[in-house]
Amino acid sequence: MSTPPDVYESSTGAPSFRQRMAPRIAQTKRTWYFLRRNGLAMAGLIILILIAAVAVYALTTPLSYEYMTEYCATNGASCPFPPSVCTYPQGTVPPGPGCYETPANFPSVIAPTWASFTQPGPLPLGSLTVDPPIQYFYNTYDGLLRGSDWSLLISLTIVGAGATIGLFLGAVSGYMGGVVDEGLMRLVDIFLSIPQLLFVIVVVTVLITLLPSSGTDFASHIYLLIGGFLVTWWPFYARLVRGQVLVVREQKYVEAARASGAGRGRIILRHIVPNSVYPVFIQMSLDVGTIPIIIGTIVFLGIRIFPSTYLPEWGTIAALSVADLSAFWDSCQIATCVIPWWQLLFPGLALFLFAISVNFLADGLRDALDPRLRR
Amino acid sequence: MRMWTYVVRRLLLIIPIILGVMTITFVLVSAVPLTERFTAYLGVPPRGQSYAKTLAPGQGVCPANATQNCSNPYYHYALNKLGLNQGVWVQWGLWMYNSLTFNWGHVGNQSAVTYTYPEAKAQAVTTVLGWFLPYTLELAALSLAIIMAIGIPLGNLSAVYRNRPVDQASRVMSFSGFALPTFLLGSLVLAAVLIGLGSINGYHSFFCSTGTTFQDFTGSWPQPYCYAAPDPSNFGYPSWLTAGYISHPTGFPTVDALIHGQWWLAFDTVLRMILPALIIAYGTIALLLRFVRNSMLEVMNLDFVRTARAKGVPERTVVRRHAGRNSLNVTVTVLGLTFASFVGGFPVIELLFNLHGVGQLLAYSVITPIDIGLVFGTTLLFTFLVVGANLIVDVLYAYLDPRVRLG
Repeated sequence: MSTPPDVYESSTGAPSFRQRMAPRIAQTKRTWYFLRRNGLAMAGLIILILIAAVAVYALTTPLSYEYMTEYCATNGASCPFPPSVCTYPQGTVPPGPGCYETPANFPSVIAPTWASFTQPGPLPLGSLTVDPPIQYFYNTYDGLLRGSDWSLLISLTIVGAGATIGLFLGAVSGYMGGVVDEGLMRLVDIFLSIPQLLFVIVVVTVLITLLPSSGTDFASHIYLLIGGFLVTWWPFYARLVRGQVLVVREQKYVEAARASGAGRGRIILRHIVPNSVYPVFIQMSLDVGTIPIIIGTIVFLGIRIFPSTYLPEWGTIAALSVADLSAFWDSCQIATCVIPWWQLLFPGLALFLFAISVNFLADGLRDALDPRLRR
Repeated sequence: MRMWTYVVRRLLLIIPIILGVMTITFVLVSAVPLTERFTAYLGVPPRGQSYAKTLAPGQGVCPANATQNCSNPYYHYALNKLGLNQGVWVQWGLWMYNSLTFNWGHVGNQSAVTYTYPEAKAQAVTTVLGWFLPYTLELAALSLAIIMAIGIPLGNLSAVYRNRPVDQASRVMSFSGFALPTFLLGSLVLAAVLIGLGSINGYHSFFCSTGTTFQDFTGSWPQPYCYAAPDPSNFGYPSWLTAGYISHPTGFPTVDALIHGQWWLAFDTVLRMILPALIIAYGTIALLLRFVRNSMLEVMNLDFVRTARAKGVPERTVVRRHAGRNSLNVTVTVLGLTFASFVGGFPVIELLFNLHGVGQLLAYSVITPIDIGLVFGTTLLFTFLVVGANLIVDVLYAYLDPRVRLG
């Protein structure tokens, strides 16, 4: 005769999965209760969900082109790229249906119109004129659509990897103390004393010299970018986690675990890390919004990260759309100039909404998780 | 502990940080291709020489009838000079020695920097940095002043009126500052100003009525034709303003203008700094605002504040004298952090507004072909600035709060 397993389980007093998870579930419910009452945080959450929906739509929609498409005008003298768009200068007769009007002086500027937005066509959000004298331009709509998933993936990868490294090193440093702690924290001090944005720029600049100027594939450039970010990203997390671990390791439950014979690794992984992870989540959510901005800054400064500069990533698109504007303002008389408002508006708005929604959500989470700040 | 003991101890803590930062730059510079390192750290090769590893027949010392490429003696000379044919520890030692003695290499001869500033060609990096640093310091001082002037009162206000409209507005403002990248905000402001003032047909600076609206809002100094006594041999600028971006004798643009009695130029220089400084302040004010608010909230709950209220001290005085003074200690420490974070915005803002500062120098030197000496020179300089700012802040904090230096 064998005893039924469930009876055997309960006789030793081991709690079931549901019982073990009960405090975590209660905690989550409490957090959600406080988060729900915070208007800004909910607005941020809704915008983020919308962006994620766009990213899923972009991932699942079969687009005929991989990246932001380069277009060129068919009424120009020559058209070096296969995808072309029919354009005609303002004041002349349209060559056919579905042709885009351009200002007489600026043959590469295509403004979005209401008709282009409602009817299916290649340029619903207008064109992104990268280099005004040349007659080619980039499709803002495709770029933003394709860029939604790229932006999310790149930011999540960088932040996730950086936070994991920092979490591990910070936990070890805080728990071990002594020489390990001292050494690691002095290293962190050194890394943090270099201004972060400059550090990223310099690391990426140097890493780019390692790659041959042509013939490298897209993926290696992405790995390089992620690697460059990681070098500068982990120290902040390490310091954050260490501070938290110093508090957690003095708690009674850690002492209890040590008394019941748990090893060092088990205490760090099962007791210390899970209990010092909340500030890391908050910092991570803030950083996810920062990374597209930093990538944009790098591109704006003219560092050629990618073989073709036109990585469909929101920071890159926003940077490209304003990179040449200074020269544009300088060269054209404002009174007669076409002001490319769509170029300033759409990519910047996407980037801004992403970053600010993440910020609102992180702030709400901090308030909901920290009883002292709760309103 | 006496004050000076604290300062000395704090100074000693800087040494490992500076050595460490130099080691990081050493690791990074080791990754750079040899030719670019030679140009940066030995200068442009002399006439008839090149840094190529081998020479084709007929080139340099290689005889025209050679059957194969010759080895380039100048390449080996350069390798020897930088110690690159020796062990990594020797290389590291040489690098540290050069860095600590401010031998930071030379500006190359073909980068975007020398295209924009021909005078900088083949000059020592420290010399060129010396031309551009004073402007950046003035811009940083102005930005810091704006951040403090807005951040501290607004932080106090949002703590006093917690969760009321003032608090919510400051929260939204600080988050939008985080979320708007400098390049985007700068472009938007520039566009708005140009469209707004340019469309009422040609806004012009009060001091100079020629040139475009764009030129009235960008650049560190007015265009050469604006000066009363131009020097034709100096591109039309006065003789104390070399080529429009090096001023004499101090290098600080407003100070020099005042020394030469041109108060209008000093005023115009500050005017041109205001928009960039505001944009930088908007991007980084969130940090100070949040810290001031939170430390004020903590202080407001302390016993002595309650005692002051119980004594019947007016609320105004409680906020200003009792709580405000005590939350100021935290504010001082955040200023160091703020400085470190807004320094990163300088390359973009100086590039956008065409300001002659170190940030613009960095922005030009990272464009291919990169100028490796300037890239590392500007990075080291900015790091020193941040480390120095943190030192000043810590000493100030110890001065304000005796518990720090005694405990």
